[in-house]
Amino acid sequence: MPSELLPNFANSPRTISIYRCNWEKDVMSNDGVNVQRRRFLTVSTTVVGAVGVVGAAVPFIGSWNPSAKAEAAGAPVKVNIANLEPDSMLSVEWRGFPIFIVRRSEQTLEGIRKLTGQVADPESTEYPDQQPAYAQNPIRARDEHPQIMVFKAICTHLGCVPQYWDVNHPTDRDEWYGGFFCPCHGSMFDMAGRVFKGVPAPSNLEVPPYYYESDSVLVIGLDSEGAAA
Amino acid sequence: MTKWLSDFWVWIDDRLPVQRAWDTHMAKYYAPKNFNFWYIFGVLSLLVLVNQLLTGVWLTMNYVPTSEGAFASVEYIMRDVPYGDILRYMHSTGASAFFVVVYLHMFRGLMYGSYRAPRELLWIFGMAIYVALMAEAFLGYILPWGNMSYWGAQVIVSLFGAIPGIGEGLVQWIRGDYLISGITLNRFFALHVVALPIVLILLVFLHILALHEVGSNNPDGVEIKKNKDENGIPKDGIPFFPYYLPMHDLVGVIVFLFAFCFIVFFTPEMGGFFIEYANFEPANNLKTPEHIAPVWYFTPFYSMLRAINFDIGPLNSKFLGFMVMAAAIAILFVLPWLDRSKVKSIRYKGWFSRIALMVFAAAFIILGVLGVKAPTEGRTALAQFCTLLYFAYFIGMPFWTSREKTFPEPERLRMKGLPLWMTLGGLVLVAVLSFVPLKAVGAESAFDCGTIPCEDFKADLSNKESLQRGAKWFDNYCYACHSLKYSRYKRVAEDLGIPPEIMTEAIVPDAKKIGDLMTNAMTREDGAAWFGTPPPDLSLETRLRSPEWVYTYLLNFYKDEARPVGVNNRVFENVGMPHVMVELQGLLECAPGTKVGAHGEAVLDNSGEEAVDFCGELVPTGEVTGSMTEEEFQQAVYDLVNYLEYVSDPGAEERKNTGVYILLFLAAFLVFAILLDREYWRDIH
Ligand code: FES
Repeated sequence: MPSELLPNFANSPRTISIYRCNWEKDVMSNDGVNVQRRRFLTVSTTVVGAVGVVGAAVPFIGSWNPSAKAEAAGAPVKVNIANLEPDSMLSVEWRGFPIFIVRRSEQTLEGIRKLTGQVADPESTEYPDQQPAYAQNPIRARDEHPQIMVFKAICTHLGCVPQYWDVNHPTDRDEWYGGFFCPCHGSMFDMAGRVFKGVPAPSNLEVPPYYYESDSVLVIGLDSEGAAA
Repeated sequence: MTKWLSDFWVWIDDRLPVQRAWDTHMAKYYAPKNFNFWYIFGVLSLLVLVNQLLTGVWLTMNYVPTSEGAFASVEYIMRDVPYGDILRYMHSTGASAFFVVVYLHMFRGLMYGSYRAPRELLWIFGMAIYVALMAEAFLGYILPWGNMSYWGAQVIVSLFGAIPGIGEGLVQWIRGDYLISGITLNRFFALHVVALPIVLILLVFLHILALHEVGSNNPDGVEIKKNKDENGIPKDGIPFFPYYLPMHDLVGVIVFLFAFCFIVFFTPEMGGFFIEYANFEPANNLKTPEHIAPVWYFTPFYSMLRAINFDIGPLNSKFLGFMVMAAAIAILFVLPWLDRSKVKSIRYKGWFSRIALMVFAAAFIILGVLGVKAPTEGRTALAQFCTLLYFAYFIGMPFWTSREKTFPEPERLRMKGLPLWMTLGGLVLVAVLSFVPLKAVGAESAFDCGTIPCEDFKADLSNKESLQRGAKWFDNYCYACHSLKYSRYKRVAEDLGIPPEIMTEAIVPDAKKIGDLMTNAMTREDGAAWFGTPPPDLSLETRLRSPEWVYTYLLNFYKDEARPVGVNNRVFENVGMPHVMVELQGLLECAPGTKVGAHGEAVLDNSGEEAVDFCGELVPTGEVTGSMTEEEFQQAVYDLVNYLEYVSDPGAEERKNTGVYILLFLAAFLVFAILLDREYWRDIH
């Protein structure tokens, strides 16, 4: 009974009959009341009822998950990268986000290795969730095609879309091998999507799951064929 | 800690009358101790109201109130939104459940005289709720934008055209267009989800406030406030909390939920009474459904409307029908002043009152049943008679109640009501009075499947092999022309156990992805040009026409050179569709055979011989021989229709599986609730 669960309420300066069961005095003869059985039944019925309420909440809560339509719209996308020139970029849409795909030349990859001291998280170890395990390396790419870089073009500061600046683009940095510049608050990233030190963005750009269906076809949204989305 | 809590409680209570409200409405609200099961329906209608509000809010999250998007968005909720089918069926079943409990609640009032002084205002608020509820239900029925929605709106809105002088202008103003259109849908949506719910909640609040001011009536119709003890507490009253709410009511609520969940999970359409089959076809302003009838809760009044098929002087039948319908509801409002009896309850009223109430109930039921049937001469006459009885009950009431001999009311409440034989007798009387006249005006006589009776068909959605074969037949023979545009390949693959690679390879067209909708490339224009009418989308075909119909239809093509496609059909005469599966079945032709009646029996001609129908059976022509035997072909068509039945409501099988657990849970919960209720009611003597 509530009155027994909250015994001290009876000591409060005011009668709180919302908790104290006045009706016990009013209408029932206390003789023959098995308090223990009554308490057991009250508690067990309440528990069963609570289970029912939780069950009834399931459809209401569950229906907020992405629908089949949203899932279909967010399905993996296939991109043909056969015609992607070295040091050029391709932008595709996946789940409503811009995904940038860059093919890096040997010089660019060379440049990336030289920047180790200037980027905040060179090995992508500080924020391991920013990329799948197979892209957690200095060049942030799968082994099969190390020159290809895939990332979500959403600045890790406050979500603007960075711009691609090639190696010839004027910057005030001493060393520049091409990279990405966020127009909103000036964050800069190198050609592996790694954030430079001293800019507002805290972490490297996110790498989505992807795999190569063939040498020229890239699938964005899945880690491998048949993997769960 | 507890000090802090109790201080906080006092702080709140000084600023908000929590304790007072609790006492007034719960712990010190004294309800008569002899409530019987008729007193559960008030609580149940509150429960249904909450259900409607919650599920309604959730449905609006995915519903699109436009003429282009409404129908598809409902199917989207049914198929694509997680748990969407359950939420939608909870809402549609809730609508009917609302009327079930409200009608029973009102009947309780009629039986025990709950409308009598000092409860007139309480009754009037209740009636206002009933009217608002009818408006709310009507508006809600429009929203799915099926063809029944459309024509229901058309008919009901046109009723206002019966008002002389302003009628036509009023109708156009309500529609906001020259016909029922997306504009009408939009405003009805606003009223359904915002305006009327607010009105309803307000009225319910007033209804309860008025009830708690005057106190509940009871089966004896004796005021418990006349007999108070030294503390001013009615001797026959018990605190509403905890004896009725939650203890007693919990038991009733669980029983109700059991029935409710059974319908939601196992038979949400309730045989077409809760969701009408014709509403599985999108609204079409050029074609009225063959049988048009309102949902069951409106049918008594709809019957009265149809029963008025005569003019009186300058008043035409349309206007009179409208007036009769309006008066049938309006007269209920003045009921408190029509009853002049010395006593309130049927327990102590005279025999005339008792029988009259049973006759009235039967007349109401008959009107309701007639309202869902096509009118015949006999039925119209019966409807007219019952309309007369309906009004006679109210108009005659002041006369017999003031004259008849009543039984003496007891001083104190009695726990026992009328003897069992009398209660059961009343029930039997109502049943007999409603059944016999209905039987007398005859049964349906039309064939369900065109010119022949339907074949039997029993869908088996757990038979995955059959469904897979059906999917294959559909792909091979139907998909070129017919789409399943509300269904997605992915869902079909998952539900039928087809691996996604195989689905992608075998069924998903090259240009599409597995998550896409199963639309097809044929445009409506091409379809119309090739076949006269564009081939319909088949996502909902078996729900619209019944699986039996589709099954029988596919088996009954026969050679008919007069038709452009060379074949005709015994189920769907002069259909534009060619016999696509002719290579499997072979070409059949008509042969004389026994003429059968609506129930499959042989029809006799004048001389007593079995009559012959020129197309009584179909036999092979030999022109095109089928690659399948008759049994094989029947199996193939069975699989195909089984598949279509699955596609029409892909969540059906899973709902049933879930439903079993929910019913088991409720059964267990009921045991606890009953034990607890009994434990507490030991206190009451
Ligand atoms: S959002 Fe990119 S720098 Fe702020």
